[in-house]
Amino acid sequence: MFKLNLKIALRNLWKYKGYTAINIFGLSVGLASCILIFIFVRYQLSFDKDYSNGDRIYRVVSQWKYNDGNEFYSQGVPLPLAPAMRNDFSQFDRVAAIQQGGGIIKVRSQAGKPEIKTDEDVYYAEPAFFEIFDYKWLSGNPTQSLTAPNQVVLSEKTATTYFGDWRKAIGNSISLDGKTNFKVAGIIKDNPQNSSFPLTIVFSYSSYHDRNSKAWGAVSSGSECYVLLKEGASIDQLAQPLAQFIEKYYTDKGPGKESHSFQPLNDIHHNVNYGSFAGSTTPYKQLVGISVIGLFLLLTACINFINLATAQAVSRSKEVGVRKVMGSRRKQLVWQFLSETTLITFIALLFACVLTELSLPGMERLFGANISFSLFGHPIIFIFLLGLLVTVSLLAGFYPALIMSGFSPALAIKNKVLANAGGVGLRKTLVVVQFAITAILIIGTLVVIKQMSYIRNKSLGFDTSAIALLSMPTDSLSKMKYNTFKNIILKTPGISKISYCNEAPSSRNNSETNFSYNSSKDADFQVNLKMVDEDYVKTFGLKLIAGKLLPKSDTANAYMINETLLKKLNVRKPEEALGKLINLSGHIAPVVGVVKDFNNVSLREAISPIVLFSSKNNYHRLAIKVSSKDMLQTLKTIEKTFNSTFPDDVYKINFIDDQVKNYYRTEQVMGTLFKVFAAVVILISFIGLFGLISFVATQRTKEIAIRKVLGASNLELVHMLNSSFLWMVLIANMVAWPIAYIFIKQWLSGFEYRIELSIWPFVIAMISSLAITLITVSIRSYRAAKANTIDALKYE
Amino acid sequence: MIELKNIEKYYSSKGIKHYVLRHVTTTIKQGEFVSIMGPSGAGKSTLLNILGMLEEPTYGTYEFMEEDVTRLNERKRIELYRNHIGFVFQAYHLIDEMTVYENIEAPLLYKKVGGAERASRIADLLDRFNMVAKKDLFPNQLSGGQQQLVGIARALAAQPSIILADEPTGNLQSAQAEEIMQLFQKLNKEDGITIIQVTHSEKNAQYGSRILNIADGVVKDDITLTAV
Repeated sequence: MFKLNLKIALRNLWKYKGYTAINIFGLSVGLASCILIFIFVRYQLSFDKDYSNGDRIYRVVSQWKYNDGNEFYSQGVPLPLAPAMRNDFSQFDRVAAIQQGGGIIKVRSQAGKPEIKTDEDVYYAEPAFFEIFDYKWLSGNPTQSLTAPNQVVLSEKTATTYFGDWRKAIGNSISLDGKTNFKVAGIIKDNPQNSSFPLTIVFSYSSYHDRNSKAWGAVSSGSECYVLLKEGASIDQLAQPLAQFIEKYYTDKGPGKESHSFQPLNDIHHNVNYGSFAGSTTPYKQLVGISVIGLFLLLTACINFINLATAQAVSRSKEVGVRKVMGSRRKQLVWQFLSETTLITFIALLFACVLTELSLPGMERLFGANISFSLFGHPIIFIFLLGLLVTVSLLAGFYPALIMSGFSPALAIKNKVLANAGGVGLRKTLVVVQFAITAILIIGTLVVIKQMSYIRNKSLGFDTSAIALLSMPTDSLSKMKYNTFKNIILKTPGISKISYCNEAPSSRNNSETNFSYNSSKDADFQVNLKMVDEDYVKTFGLKLIAGKLLPKSDTANAYMINETLLKKLNVRKPEEALGKLINLSGHIAPVVGVVKDFNNVSLREAISPIVLFSSKNNYHRLAIKVSSKDMLQTLKTIEKTFNSTFPDDVYKINFIDDQVKNYYRTEQVMGTLFKVFAAVVILISFIGLFGLISFVATQRTKEIAIRKVLGASNLELVHMLNSSFLWMVLIANMVAWPIAYIFIKQWLSGFEYRIELSIWPFVIAMISSLAITLITVSIRSYRAAKANTIDALKYE
Repeated sequence: MIELKNIEKYYSSKGIKHYVLRHVTTTIKQGEFVSIMGPSGAGKSTLLNILGMLEEPTYGTYEFMEEDVTRLNERKRIELYRNHIGFVFQAYHLIDEMTVYENIEAPLLYKKVGGAERASRIADLLDRFNMVAKKDLFPNQLSGGQQQLVGIARALAAQPSIILADEPTGNLQSAQAEEIMQLFQKLNKEDGITIIQVTHSEKNAQYGSRILNIADGVVKDDITLTAV
């Protein structure tokens, strides 16, 4: 019986080739999108899952609350915290500190290999770190390889790059910043891409110079601390001891109130408040968002299927009737139709796999980094595919099967099943739902595109074009060469303005501190610090609105401030601030100038109160305004000068433009996804629409013919066929508007600087969906209207 | 075999009852060949539908093989379809997507007849109806008469005790119609299969053993024909 049903199913699919193609095409595009989304979401959810103690591993993180309501989060902890916790908490099996750093790694030249000099992220870790996280050791073990000073553990890949073969690395040494030699004492397997710990070079913690720091007041995001909870202990029981711990060690009272919490390992990749060593986090909200889009896609594809199947039902009513009088149970018919749906879904799924495979490279490019996706890399994907097959078959097949198998045989045999069978009402509702989804995505896409171009084109309040940031070495010997280097670079043709600084006006790296203004008491908020030399304002084209520029100096002997700071201090006129004294960590100096506000972070956030001052010790970048003419030549000259002045260092240069663009990577990715998936949904919906109008037209052939005989014109007939569809699309838009409004409002509220929400995206979505509907439907209905009258009336 | 008592069928619309059948009482015995006749709209097809349990009467009782079937559940009704009743339609109603062979096979599949038995029964039927060469053709590749033969073969496949035929020759030319009628007569006489047919044609009715004349939903005449 099954074999026969399968055969009938195939013959049926072949008989209605057109609808089959529509069905399969729409469904496979929808399924492919779903599979892509699943692969992405699975990848994001798979972070840090490979550790056997995973559920007992926590990271200690820090929070500060300020009186003005600001909160500040850091994944780092004060350096003395790790030893103190080890001492005070009995609930922990292990406590391990790990410190992120950076430096110039040098590997001496060996037989057949030239000397290697690179700028790398490095880590200092306690042996306990590797007892908490069970890495696979190719050579050595945590206690032997990381206890003594001047030991280093390399990842397999790094060791191979440096020494040709990881086996040769053992016993060899590498040097850091040209000062210390480290002996390679162990090799670990590389972490997979889905890890928050890109550990490639790990020094023993005992080599870390600040390891014995007692400063509870200073926190760097690079100093992390991990704990392994004892088996059977619960993290909730630690609230009380943790409060006591904080009470005990934080004796100095700053403006912010410190606290710590334990962040579970599986939260690290998804919590945007704290970063990770890997540098990227994907909040759950984003994953939910994209999954919802996936669900939408699946839904639209299924709706197509249901609509076409129920519409087709009429033409199969006879078969149902005959089968029933031959003794078929309703259940058997349901099974028969379901198996047909499953067959279609299965074929569509095969196509979808091909489509997915074709679009994977595009997705890898979109998400950048070194993510590689594969369709068949993980068994769970097969389970997902199977689940998809079953869900779609049931979702799309069950209702039509129920309708068709429910036909009364007496009516079915006489072909008296009305064209309305299969619930025209339901079909219309589904079309409305489908178009509502389409409209929501169109509106969303329009708004995302508009907001992104607004952000791209909005001035940040300073010059961002053709300004390069050169990373400078920061050791004291190099610092002495700063002035000479600046003078040489200034002489290079094509370079007019340069300035030493710690960061560009807008940067991800921000430091804040307490200060007092014209008083002995600290203000109740913190200021953002920009350590810059006298040419900074000119180089970045900042606007001076009062006073003068910073004088030439190596230390803070004068301050410049921004408008926001004035506003926060309730100073009305910028001139009033001039000459007032600011105390910043003990450096007391007058305000000499006020600059116009510029955005110091991304446009998602508001401008901070900012103080600019000189501090040669903190400079580590040289901002260079390069004329766009002969830029490549100029950059080459800079590189040559740099390498000859600082032979031990590595030349690294970034453009501010790129840096700023990077702020909005997530939004860019979201934007692209929106565009792609909106296009897919639109495609699916209109394919469905075309299928449906085709059926309606076929069904009403006789009616059309009679109307023509009675004198209706082609135009009138097209109008008759079209109007119900236009109404449905119109209603769908009305349904979509409020929903889209809520979503968009929510998304835009994530930006401090955002476009005004106008009615236009809504109107455009409506007009375009109506226009496309009109075109799609008219093509088919015109053909129906033009059909030969006699052919239609000849039968019966 | 069949007992109809006071069968009534009406449709009410806006409170007005439109009678299709009134007070139909009759008995059909095993082995009879009954023709239901009457003008268009007299209720012939409705009566046949009720006999075939495709419709339920509004009033009255219907006993099929000593069993009241007016309120039969679907499961039981399907059992009757599988084992006792074969349908033949005016428009043949073969399943277009199935070949001749598969069309005949379908009821056997529902009846869960074993593979070997199925093959031999179909071979037998094909042989009997001279359609062995056509077994792999699809219905639209056959003439109307041939399609009706397949329709009858399909009805016979399950070895029913009764065949209900709704104007089986209505779409056929007279020569073909005659062939079908002779076949019915043969089935009735040789195999003892009860046949009830609806027909317009006086000539076709003559092949049977009894004629029920219906007009306006009422049985006007019940004529028993003596063998010619």
